[in-house]
Amino acid sequence: MKLTGAFYSIYRNWLSRRLPAARSITLEQRRLFIFPTAAGFFFLATLLIMLLTAINYQNNMAYGLTFWLAMLFIVAVHFTHGNLLGLTMTAVAAEAVFAYQQSGFTLRLSGGGKRAGHYSVRLLWPDAEQVVDVGAGQGRTVTLHQAVGQRGYFLPPRLRIESVYPLGLLRCWSFAYFDCQALVYPQPLPAPDVLISVNEKGTLGTSDSSGLDDLAGFRAYQVGDSARHIDWRAWARGQALQTRLFSAPSREEHWLDWNDFDGGNTEQRLSWLCWRIIQLDASGDDYGLRLPNVEIPLAAGDRQREVTLRALALYDMQPPGTGYHL
Amino acid sequence: MTSSLLPRQALWWLIGSQLYVALPHFSRVPLWILAVYAGAALWRLQMYRHRADMPHKLVRLMLGLGLGGSVIVSYQTFVGLDPMVALLLVASALKGVESVRVKDGYVLVSLGLFIMTTQFLYDQQLPTMLYGVIGTLLLVISLIAINQRPGASLGRRECFLALRMLGLAMPMMVVLFVLFPRIDPLWSVPSKTQQGTTGMSDVLRPGDVTRLGRSSEVAFRVQFDGSIPPNRELYWRGMVLNQFDNRAWRTLEWKDHPAIERQLERPTLEGDSLHYHVIMEPSMQNWLYALPYAESDSRGVFETWDFRLAVAKPLESTFSYKVVSQQPTALQPVLSQWRRETELAFPPGLNPRTRAWVAEQLAAVEGVDDFILRVLRYFREQPFFYTLEPPAISDDDFVDQFIFNSRRGFCEHYAYSFVVIMRMAGIPSRIVGGYQGGEVNDVNNTLVVRQFDAHAWTEIWLENRGWVRVDPTAAVSPARIELGLESALAEEERFLTDSLLSAYRFRNVSIINWLRLRYDAAAWRWQSFIVGFDSGEQINLLKLWFGEIKVGWFVAALLGSWIAILGPLTWWMTRSRRSSDRLPTEKAFAALCRILARRGIDRQIGETPLHFLTRVEAQLAANDPLVIELEKLAVRLYAPVSGSIE
Repeated sequence: MKLTGAFYSIYRNWLSRRLPAARSITLEQRRLFIFPTAAGFFFLATLLIMLLTAINYQNNMAYGLTFWLAMLFIVAVHFTHGNLLGLTMTAVAAEAVFAYQQSGFTLRLSGGGKRAGHYSVRLLWPDAEQVVDVGAGQGRTVTLHQAVGQRGYFLPPRLRIESVYPLGLLRCWSFAYFDCQALVYPQPLPAPDVLISVNEKGTLGTSDSSGLDDLAGFRAYQVGDSARHIDWRAWARGQALQTRLFSAPSREEHWLDWNDFDGGNTEQRLSWLCWRIIQLDASGDDYGLRLPNVEIPLAAGDRQREVTLRALALYDMQPPGTGYHL
Repeated sequence: MTSSLLPRQALWWLIGSQLYVALPHFSRVPLWILAVYAGAALWRLQMYRHRADMPHKLVRLMLGLGLGGSVIVSYQTFVGLDPMVALLLVASALKGVESVRVKDGYVLVSLGLFIMTTQFLYDQQLPTMLYGVIGTLLLVISLIAINQRPGASLGRRECFLALRMLGLAMPMMVVLFVLFPRIDPLWSVPSKTQQGTTGMSDVLRPGDVTRLGRSSEVAFRVQFDGSIPPNRELYWRGMVLNQFDNRAWRTLEWKDHPAIERQLERPTLEGDSLHYHVIMEPSMQNWLYALPYAESDSRGVFETWDFRLAVAKPLESTFSYKVVSQQPTALQPVLSQWRRETELAFPPGLNPRTRAWVAEQLAAVEGVDDFILRVLRYFREQPFFYTLEPPAISDDDFVDQFIFNSRRGFCEHYAYSFVVIMRMAGIPSRIVGGYQGGEVNDVNNTLVVRQFDAHAWTEIWLENRGWVRVDPTAAVSPARIELGLESALAEEERFLTDSLLSAYRFRNVSIINWLRLRYDAAAWRWQSFIVGFDSGEQINLLKLWFGEIKVGWFVAALLGSWIAILGPLTWWMTRSRRSSDRLPTEKAFAALCRILARRGIDRQIGETPLHFLTRVEAQLAANDPLVIELEKLAVRLYAPVSGSIE
């Protein structure tokens, strides 16, 4: 269904108006499309041959069988359509992941009727495909995985729901845009190891608050080292660039400061911070995060990890959009 | 989608339904095709057990070409229904071997449907219809099996689904069946072969009718408007055999007649007329059976110069016609010179003893009537036997052998001898072939005439009276004419030996007979209303309903009936799947979320219920009833369940 240029964009606009995004989508009459499959056309061709046989041999039983099967095809339109009709899909959860990973979107499918189920329902995303049966009066949970992009909110692509059940002669399908966004954390990148988490307990962060403690030594400058830790005096003397190293703090409290990571651009800094958070979370220590305009106090545990990573993910981002930008 | 593999249970349904639809054809295809089927099934089984691989594409191509060629070689042609059926069967067997994908499944189902259709071309009787209905059901279940989720099981639900869909399609099928215009064949189709059809032929040799005495197959069924005439009057005339040639009696065809003799001389009629409706099984012959003197206004039926009914083409399928029979005052009271010579011709050198005997009798009698009575008396008084097991007479002088030596014969032996004697005596005469009698079914007042009712008698031409029927068999065995063949052959075991399992054999068991008569009545209805439904009947029926036939009426009736059936179906489907009846747990969860939103705790986009729970817990007390309820629902609803993954 590759339509070109303007025509395709008209089609997409029409589709998004017809099928607006929502948390929970019930496949109603107007959302469903139906058309014969290749097998359906093959079946109709067989019926044509059978009809010609009936006419040429003037055979009433052959007429009868042909008409019976032709009407079965029409009944199948209703049954194929009915197989998706009333199916409710609710976006339950979108797994928060790091950039460029696979996020799992959990959908809750529930049947529309007490007596009739939904069988061989195929859920299709570019990266994922699943076939599920939803029995009469039952519900089931399905997780579909999809690769996400950069940090921020990830809108899952248009989900195609289709089924050829019961006879495979017709395909009924619909599209669903789920208003269910996955939070995407920055891609963790190993932070330059010279940077020491600084003990700042009780004091508000200032630009010169770090690096004044025990100087432990020097090492050659590496790309990404903070400019504030470079031994400028030595450089002024004509020596090579050197970075000052500080001893590790004895207390288990760490502040991650945006300003300590000024050796890269915004995304790099976020990636390094992200990496540090993962490390600190694994160590079990308390940590806090300082970003321009945001400060997250010292804490530990899953909740702290999530709050800090969320802050990184949404740093300098527009609030999440309400709709799809197709 | 088309590349996905066939589910396992679908494969078994497909192969089973293929065998089912092919089964009735097995009796009429060469034996080696059965071997192909067996081989294909075995190979598929080994493939299933991973003991064999699918044959290479080239091997399959070679097999297909080779077996297709074999069909053509064994039938000498590829035109015609029989070779076509054989090719279809070979194709279905080979397709069965290579079927691994879903799209192969559709091809198999289509092949199966077409094989079933070809079965109908051979036979449109009630059992074939029932067999076909079950076959259709099996093929539809196979289609459902193909489309099931891999790993799903096929059970009662799927079978009922197939039944329901076919059931809903049926009323619309009936409408289409009645309304679809019955047009003439678009092109002439290859004929069926005569192979396997029992019945009278237009060449009669001693022994031909005898063979039919062993079969209880139905030849035709008759329904009379009034009461059924007694058995002795039911002489169903089929063909007239007037030429003796090379030890056999033959019918003179239309082209053998001089132009002037091809005209039908309509006799004057007297007495009451009989109205009846005949449905003939396929005979592969072009003549019809009727009581003399018969006239018919059914489509395609014409009357011949020798007062028979016939159609233009051999009957390859069931044929239905209506007849009016009435007694003629005289059939062909004036005989033309050509006709007289034809009906007297007999090779002069044959049967010298008979010729001498005829001359001797003629000298002693006074007039033609006396001579005929004398000959019949000879048959009655001499030790002649009526039997289904006559000794074979291979002599050219058949009549000499029969009337003086063996004296054991079936109806055609007597008719043959009688006509020869008459012709030797200068009386124009001929053999008439057809059926005599029939079994009355009281359930629906029909008469069933079977192959064993086949009979041969004679017609002699008498001055002023025209053609008169004389049945020499009646002289030998009056019971045959009064009561039927079975009574006449009470002591013989050969009767019906070809129909071992026929219900007719067990008609002395009262329950079987009760069922048999009711079945025959149903078969009559089936044959007369469904199989015999043609454009004439269609026009009559539509005129009865609509007064006159307009295209607009046609379309309106068709669409109207569809809407009448599909409308309620749509309504019912939409209603039964309305989303309002969602699961109670889900409704409760949604309601709880709304309550919490009013308290200022919104569930965020993409937030897992468990995460939401922790947030709610943080804001309300852990023992808050809302929190406890939420925890219960969240766990019940959204406990991590993995969806099935292909």
